[in-house]
Formats: sequence, C-alpha cells, structure tokens
Amino acid sequence: MNERELTARVKLGDEAAERALYDAHVDRVYWVAYRMSGRHDLAQDFTQDVFIRAFERIGDFRGDAPFGAWLHSITMSVVLNGLRKVKRFDQREAVLEEAGMVTSSVREAEPDLKERLAQAIDALPEGCRVTFLMHDVEGFTHEEIGAALGTTAGTSKAQLSRARAKLRIALADFAGDWIQ
Amino acid sequence: MTDDHMNDQPNDAIQDERIRALAAGHYNAPDGSVPRDAMWSQISAARRVARAGVAPVAAVAPAAEAVEQRTDVIPMASRRRTRTIVVWRWSAAVAAGLLLAFLLGRFVGDFRTTSPVTKQIAGNNPSTPKHIDPPPGAPEGPSPSPTPNGGEPSRSPRQNPATHPSSEPLAPSVPRDLASADTAATTLYRAAAVQTLMQAEAVLTAYRGVEATGRDPQAMQQAARWARDVLSSTRLLIDSPAGRDPQMRALFTDLELVLAQIVQLSGTPLQDSERDLIDRAMRDRDLLPRLRSAVPAGSATS
Repeated sequence: MNERELTARVKLGDEAAERALYDAHVDRVYWVAYRMSGRHDLAQDFTQDVFIRAFERIGDFRGDAPFGAWLHSITMSVVLNGLRKVKRFDQREAVLEEAGMVTSSVREAEPDLKERLAQAIDALPEGCRVTFLMHDVEGFTHEEIGAALGTTAGTSKAQLSRARAKLRIALADFAGDWIQ
Repeated sequence: MTDDHMNDQPNDAIQDERIRALAAGHYNAPDGSVPRDAMWSQISAARRVARAGVAPVAAVAPAAEAVEQRTDVIPMASRRRTRTIVVWRWSAAVAAGLLLAFLLGRFVGDFRTTSPVTKQIAGNNPSTPKHIDPPPGAPEGPSPSPTPNGGEPSRSPRQNPATHPSSEPLAPSVPRDLASADTAATTLYRAAAVQTLMQAEAVLTAYRGVEATGRDPQAMQQAARWARDVLSSTRLLIDSPAGRDPQMRALFTDLELVLAQIVQLSGTPLQDSERDLIDRAMRDRDLLPRLRSAVPAGSATS
C-alpha cells in the first residue's frame, strides 16, 4: 500500500494505516526532535505530539506534497513551540548565557572541540540555531524552514549566514587545523 | 560552492563544511534506538481518548449520536470540528435556557409586585408589609398592622412569601396563567440544571480518562476548556432558584470547586500534589455518583 492510499485510509479512521504511517516516519521525526532538544524525554513527547496532531489534522492534508514534508512542517512547529515552553521551565537562558561567555573567551587549555561546538551551537540565537540545524544538519530547504518558522526563505538564508559566521568565530581557534 | 556560500571567502566554505560535518556527527546525534512501541501506545491512547471525547456528549445530545454513527466516513479534522460545534451548541442552549428562565423569573416577580390581583392578595394578607399600598379602587382590606406574632421584620416584595411558590401555596384567586408561568420558569431552571449536570459528568469522565491514559497536554487543555464552559453555568445556577434546593446547591458548590481546579490545567504536566487534590476532591465528595443520581433517568435521551 503506498503512502497516498495510507493517508486516505487514515482519513477514514483506519488505525492500522495510522500505525503504518507512524512506522514509516517515526525515526526521522524522533531524531529531528532529539537533535533540536538534546533530550530523549522531550524527543519522545514531541514525537507523540507530532503524530497525534498529524492524525487529527489529516483532513487538511491534500496530497499535493509528500506526506513526509507535511509531517515535518508539523514536527518543526511542535518542536519549536515545545522548546519555548521547556525554556520557561528550566531556565535555559542561564545556560545559554554561560555558553555565550565560553565562546567569547580565550582558548582554554586542551579544549574539547566537540564540547566547544555544542556550546557554540547552544549559544546561537534560537532562530539561527534552528535554521543551522535544520538546513546544514537535517537537510531541510530554506523554503521548508521558512514555512515552518512562519518566515520567508530569504530570512532563513540570512539566519543561516549569521549562524555560520558566529560558529566560525566561536571555533576560530581550530580554523588553522581544518584548512590545512 | 553552494548558493549559501556565494559571498563567503573560500576558507569560510571549508570551515563551514567541517563544522556542518562535526555538528551532524556529534551535536545531539542519534544514539540508541527509537522507543517506537512506547510512543505508539501513548499515541493510540490519546487517539482513543480523542475519539471517546465524543461519547459523553453524544449521550447528552441526540444530534451528536447521529454524528457518532457516521464516524467511519468523517475525517479526523471534521470530527474534531463536529465535537467542538456540539459542545458549543449545548453550552449555548444551557445559557439560553438560563437566560429565559431568569427573564421569566423577573417577569413573574414584576407581575406579582405590580398586578392589582397580587396587591389585593398582599393587601388581604395580614403579614403584608406596610409599604405596599392597596391598588386604586380596590376594596380596602384590613389596615396594615404588625404581624399577629408581634413584629416579623418586613420583607421586600421579592421576599414576600406570595412570590415564592415553595413557601406558601398560592391563593385560590391567583390567575391560572400566573401559576403556569411560575411552573414554566421552575421547569426551565430544572432543565438547565440537569443539562449542566450532564455536561459536568462528561467533563469529569473525560478528565479521568485523560488522567488514566497518559495525560496528553492537548486532551488536558480540551478538558479544561469544557470545564470552563460548565463552570460559568454552574455559578449561574447556584444563584438561581435551582440553587435553592439545599442538596442541589451543595452539589453545584462541590462541582464548582473541582471544575475550577480542572480549569487551572494548562496542558503542562500536573504536579502530583495537584492531581491528588483533584482526585481527592472528586472521591471525598462522591461527585460522579452524586451527579449520576441527580440526573433523572432518561434525561440524556429526552
């Protein structure tokens, strides 16, 4: 059964078809959610929310675009909204501020590149961080990112450019090794 | 070089590519396996609750039963809209019923205080307060005097026993339409009370369902919205003639407390203490059994 048939059956309330669609897309959704949140419990919550919302709104899916693209726009919306809520709870700003200080500080003794990279990404403004992860790491197009964030493809390009520039600055200490 | 690197230095492109590869490999990179079954059990439970969300309302509304029978052919989004429409329609019906009953009550009250017949009755009543004058041209009754038992405080016209059918039977000379209007108002209040109680039962059942099946934030928010709708009716009913019945009043007051707690749900995970509070309030007050026994049998289909 192809995806078009599956979505048609989901529209009729077929639970087996829901499960089949879930199996086909859950890994991608889960890892995107994990990539953005860095926590398995949140990734699990977001993934569940994505599929619940997708099945509830399946009537809005017209089949013009692939189901996966439609699902990922929901994923982006759920994850970003979810992260905003989580932020309010766990005072993530404090962590970001701390990370920002690390990125602008002088090179420490024997820094761990991976750790520095993670800190630099976390320290990016949220829009830049999301755009960088979605475009450069997850392979979404600027059009898809713009649609998910409620902005334009041009804004997404600008955010990505800013994100890359900030990361280059933050990891400038390692630039020499990379270019050679 | 991609479009994104058109304006960059060549070294920037190399750096960006290294950073991208490093981020893809190490920044929150996939590790372990996806807990597919655990997540699916939560999703399917939430879906069942969402589908069952129609059931309590369907029991209340015959129109909703027809909707439920066509479940197989209704898309999910339409079903959700239908459920919302049904809930709003019934909320509007309860509100309209309450308003009508209130206006009827006002009308009956005004009619009694201004109609010559009422004034005549009041004039003939030894306990009538002094400030109610006999109507012009009406035969004079006994002169206003203190009550036989020596000075019962005077009541306002609204508190006059003549305006309260439950306090004293109406005088035989009261017109039939006055009595029937009063009965109609009482019946409307009662109908509004029964409808509110049925809705409250649906809300509490939905809340317990959500609690038992994973506490989906969306379903929680839905329950909170329903509770808010019912809560407004509950407050009106407590202050209405329906709230004069002590048993009914106690039920509405308890209901108000629990509904107010459910309204607080914002979709965020509940603290254990909050959950215990709601559960204990429902359990200690026997809310659901009392609600079910307060709704007359067959009301759901009538």
